[in-house]
Amino acid sequence: MLRYAYGGHILRVDLTERSSRIDALDSSWIKPLIGGRAANTKRLSEELNLGCDPLGPENMLIFGIGPLTGSLLPASAYHTVTAKSPLTGILGDSAAGGQFAAEMKLTGFDQIIISGKADTLLYLLVTESGVEYVDCPELAGKIITDTTQAIRENHHDYSIQVAAIGPAGENLVQFAAIVSSGNRVNGRTGMGAVMGAKNLKAVAVRGSRSLEVADNLAFLAEVRKIEENILNHDEYEKRYRMGTTMLMKDLNNIGILPTRHFQEGVCHYVDEISGQALARTHKVKNKACFNCNLHCSRYYVVEDSEAEGPEFETLCSFTSRLGSRDLPFALEMNNFLNQTGMDSISTSEVIGWIMECQERGLIHPQELDGLHLRWGETDKIRDVVHMIACRRGIGDRLADGAKKLSESFSQEAQRLVMQVKGLDMICGDPRGIKAYGLTYAVAARGADHLRAEPYFELTNRKEEAKKRFGTEKAADRLAEEGKAALVSYSEKIALLTDCLTMCKNIGLCLDVLNFENASALLRAGTGIEYSPEYLEEILGNHIELEYQLNRRFGVKKDDDTLPERFQKEPLTEGPTKGSIVDIRRMVDEYYKIHGRRE
Amino acid sequence: MMAIRVDLSKCTGCRRCETACAFFHTGKVNHHQARIKVMNLYETGVDGPVLCSQCQERYCLSCPEKALSTGKLGQVIVLPALCTLCGVCEKACPIGAIEMFRDFVYVCDLCGGRPRCVDACTEGAIIFEQGKGEHPSLAAVKKKTMKMNPSQKRHFFIQELGADFRRTWRKARA
Repeated sequence: MLRYAYGGHILRVDLTERSSRIDALDSSWIKPLIGGRAANTKRLSEELNLGCDPLGPENMLIFGIGPLTGSLLPASAYHTVTAKSPLTGILGDSAAGGQFAAEMKLTGFDQIIISGKADTLLYLLVTESGVEYVDCPELAGKIITDTTQAIRENHHDYSIQVAAIGPAGENLVQFAAIVSSGNRVNGRTGMGAVMGAKNLKAVAVRGSRSLEVADNLAFLAEVRKIEENILNHDEYEKRYRMGTTMLMKDLNNIGILPTRHFQEGVCHYVDEISGQALARTHKVKNKACFNCNLHCSRYYVVEDSEAEGPEFETLCSFTSRLGSRDLPFALEMNNFLNQTGMDSISTSEVIGWIMECQERGLIHPQELDGLHLRWGETDKIRDVVHMIACRRGIGDRLADGAKKLSESFSQEAQRLVMQVKGLDMICGDPRGIKAYGLTYAVAARGADHLRAEPYFELTNRKEEAKKRFGTEKAADRLAEEGKAALVSYSEKIALLTDCLTMCKNIGLCLDVLNFENASALLRAGTGIEYSPEYLEEILGNHIELEYQLNRRFGVKKDDDTLPERFQKEPLTEGPTKGSIVDIRRMVDEYYKIHGRRE
Repeated sequence: MMAIRVDLSKCTGCRRCETACAFFHTGKVNHHQARIKVMNLYETGVDGPVLCSQCQERYCLSCPEKALSTGKLGQVIVLPALCTLCGVCEKACPIGAIEMFRDFVYVCDLCGGRPRCVDACTEGAIIFEQGKGEHPSLAAVKKKTMKMNPSQKRHFFIQELGADFRRTWRKARA
């Protein structure tokens, strides 16, 4: 019987029938899956009809947390949302921080599984006693903060945390996001569209249970060590000041800052759009996720808009990636995308792709209802983004994402979509960060860095690289050697952070989480025996489960690749000049490590 | 007297004070059993903890059972043996700093002189200092929050404090 850390229950909601059921968490799932992303994928893998329409009632939308979610462990309140992705047609999931997960923990539900489709727009209020269905026609088309505010006011309770969709999710934009805590985004793979297709405006949580760990003193001792590691980390001050936006200059310095849709890796006006510029001119205070001592998020004020953020991905996506040098515009877009609920990376990709194709004469404006986009034309970008969010005019086609849109154009144009398995690529040119390149290629949800976040290759720790991965090259960002080993290690730590529901900036980038301290945390937290070796083994097993699940969705080895550009065209300038990615070699080596044939 | 002062401009909304408070007092983590409660106002970017401000008026001492008194440091002391959970104190507090949960009344006790929330805050947003003898008046707030529940009162209080301080953002960035 579970006594510690876990809520111990799962909530199943059928929106069609407006019925729900509370099940005990299956005890055989606990130790080998831990929770969070692993438990979500397992659920999808066992219960979903994989052939279902991602936007149909059959698709399952799963909110999952883990045993240590909302505990004293810093930055431990992430929640993962999992479903079949409408954007990619395969495994979709996305995690977000903030405050939602910590409150979900107090409801006693480790997973909330939502299926069916409501006959009218509603939101769910989940408490420890179950679920309430609240019709909310008045919230149709409302942005995130208004929705959150309205739900809290409805129930006269500001402890309620809300994960909502904005207009983009309601309009089934295929890369729509779910947003909680005002600005915390489950951005990737279109989870917001799945929610919109279910007529589900929001999931609100409010619990009155408590989180109790098995051994307070042992747990606290591990937590203190991690807190110290964070506070004493070399990057603490920099991350505190700029958060992930520090990467604008860091990536530019090594020549891999996506500029004009990955045509260049050096942005000459980076100082105008950098994390430093943002901190200097618009930041007014720091913000933080639940119980984190890094406080890396920021609040900014700019002309007539203000909001939390942006993170690096959004900042880069709406500046250099689209050839814009307008920082206030990027901040306006950050707010707009978060409030309408759209993934900034996928939104930028469809726009950037059109810009490049039109520059190259591959797409005529007439083929896009007169739309003609050029680098840095912020007024036009704004219009297009608004049109996508409400699927107005040509926005209706763009809202299907770059890959689907490209299918009605030439092969040459299709090759220019920066995507893997249908998911648009993040901001970081793989020609200068090879382990990231491999991660984009093999990641289960498509071109994404968070499945492994092999930040280690940027830290230049040669001796450590030799010790951990058998070659100094693992710490050389331009080398392909040793990267399969690095990614195979990092993907386990990434999964571990997703199961402990921690932040990856902390768990991986700051390198504070490993199998040793994680097993100590789990032992002290849950009272269940974990060893580092056992942890590593189950994490490895789970990565194979994701791989197998995607095989059942129809993914093949050939899909584990990168867009042609990165394999054939070297960058022409800067410290990554001349480099291309031998992705085949790395993927083969990665498959060998995993004992996979195809 | 000793008092905890809050600097709203430094609060990031992380709620470390809240978790530390609940954990120190109960060995568990949840906000119901915390005696300091953080409000995250997503609509305005303002965050701030609410706790007993040791107000001049001491509204909560209107307890009909005399279960509440003030200690040497100025903190409110609850005697559970006398408390009948009637809710008068909760209703009386203008800012939602005293609240019942299950069978107990939760209000800041200054941890007997070493507040754990102050230790937990890495931002310097919660300051423990020797008071100069003056206690803030909450009379003006009281009028406006009469009909609210504790959660609404806390929200209102931080919203009001936040409105003043938000003006400094625009000025600084103008």
